[in-house]
Amino acid sequence: MIARSPHQQLRRRGTNAAALAALRLSRQVGEALADGLAGKHAGDAARRLARLLGADAVALADCDRVLAAWGRFDPAAASQILAETLDELETVTDPPLRAAPLVVSGDLAGGLIVAGDVTDAELTEAARLVATALDHADLDRARERIAAADLRTLRAQISPHFMHNALAAISAHTRTDPERARELLTDFSDYLRYSFANTGDYATVADELQAVQTYLELQRARFDDRLDITVQVAPEVLPVAIPFLVVQPIVENAVRHGFESRPGVGHIAVRGFSEGPLCVIEVEDDGAGMNPEHAKAVLTGNERGTGGIGLANVDRRLRAVYGPEYGLLLDTAQGAGTKATVRIPRYARGVLAQ
Amino acid sequence: MKRLRVLVVEDEPSTRTELAGQLAEHSSVGDVVCADGGDEAVRLLGSGIFDAAFLDIAMPGLNGMDVARILTRLSDPPAIVFVTAYDNHAVEAFGLGAVDYLLKPFRAERLAEAVARIDHHRSGPASAGEKADDLAVVQVELAGRTIFIRRDDIAFAEAHGDYVRLHSGEDSHLLRQSLTYLEQVWDEAGFVRAHRSYLVNLAAVTELRVTSTAGLVAVTGAGEVPVSRRHSRLLRERLLQAARNKDRSRP
Repeated sequence: MIARSPHQQLRRRGTNAAALAALRLSRQVGEALADGLAGKHAGDAARRLARLLGADAVALADCDRVLAAWGRFDPAAASQILAETLDELETVTDPPLRAAPLVVSGDLAGGLIVAGDVTDAELTEAARLVATALDHADLDRARERIAAADLRTLRAQISPHFMHNALAAISAHTRTDPERARELLTDFSDYLRYSFANTGDYATVADELQAVQTYLELQRARFDDRLDITVQVAPEVLPVAIPFLVVQPIVENAVRHGFESRPGVGHIAVRGFSEGPLCVIEVEDDGAGMNPEHAKAVLTGNERGTGGIGLANVDRRLRAVYGPEYGLLLDTAQGAGTKATVRIPRYARGVLAQ
Repeated sequence: MKRLRVLVVEDEPSTRTELAGQLAEHSSVGDVVCADGGDEAVRLLGSGIFDAAFLDIAMPGLNGMDVARILTRLSDPPAIVFVTAYDNHAVEAFGLGAVDYLLKPFRAERLAEAVARIDHHRSGPASAGEKADDLAVVQVELAGRTIFIRRDDIAFAEAHGDYVRLHSGEDSHLLRQSLTYLEQVWDEAGFVRAHRSYLVNLAAVTELRVTSTAGLVAVTGAGEVPVSRRHSRLLRERLLQAARNKDRSRP
């Protein structure tokens, strides 16, 4: 056991408090820069940086001009030192001002200007802190763009293979069964309309299953009796909001991989029902199935084979909306068909169908 | 009722002919007059009174929205149905008081629905006939005895010649009444036409099932009810609405 003098304890507590304050200020600078240098909280970031450094004034600038500042600056002197630090790409001193360039993932993003008793080392660390925060903000925005792009990818992923086969099947019916051909064309039009719809990120289970049925009708025009389809839905889940284009990629996958590649009659069953607070949607086929390791690779997006992208995309979007425990479940084995299950809360905060 | 006089305004000749032809096949439609654009439509409006106008939206010259705006200023404006290939005008269309909004290419049954809406619109709000509660309990004769059946216990009703067969649980009873009459009287109580010969109680539907062989059926505790393609969209919509209302009324 080591005895500590009261003085030591006090000192230790003092250092802890200072470290804690510095850590908190660093985090707050990061948060204030979440919208970038031009964001509306950049002034807040400048104020907190000033406290962190013990500076009289702090300014954040892009490559042209000061965007946010705390404290007093002579504007002309600030512009002057900003130009210098951006030209020389290193810390510049011109008392009472000091400036450092902000380099975000290799690119010059702007400069940090301080006034007061701040050392070069302190200024350099502060510039790194700001650059890292800006880099994080960029990454966050990129993540959002990726989520939106995921949905766009799916919309754009209507397979040319499917489109041409559907058109061929319709064309084949025009002479023998014009009424059927007409029905199929409206089905095809509905299918395109739904897949390209750009209203919001959510649909109702009713809409999603209607789209699935339309798709399966078109497939049946190609395969006729070789494809046996059942879609069952309990009325209570019809109004449940579900991310747009979740069920359809699963069904397309069942047709493409479970059925098209294999001879004989194929059965596909789609079921929607409630299970307590959850809405469950199952898509089951008795097709080729796959080896469970392969299924895992498909879900993690490591399997770059055809169709895998669709399932990985669905899984990723489900987790993003509802949380990691609501991902897509695949129950499959080689030669034993595939059952894909989506379980989502019937009522989720912030999830509303258009 | 007098047959409808309809104006079709569409700049593409094939679609115009097709729409006019399909409309003419409806028993409630009389004259169908065609215009190849908004300008001609406005000229034709001077030549007589129309009960309904089917308007394409995107046309050179005066477009469908322009024509609709002119129509709404008439003292007795025709019922307006917009017909378009792209559905981003729906909100504006209903803002102009459109009765319906058809997407091209349209199904025959969807056009029938639009014509029915026009009929409904022309005849005004349903004449205060019998209230739904008038038949909340029906009386049937069974082997010389009279028994009473609660409407809400009935899962579905099936046309049977001059009679209607009411199905509830294991039982079924014949009632001397027409299905059309029950459809009107029980509409507000949640009975919806599923097929030419069937009415189904929305509250009794436990599942909708589509199979390649049997088409769409509504599953109830008293058996399965076939749903024709023509009625499937409305039935689905009413079921969805009923489920929403039920969710809303939860504690």
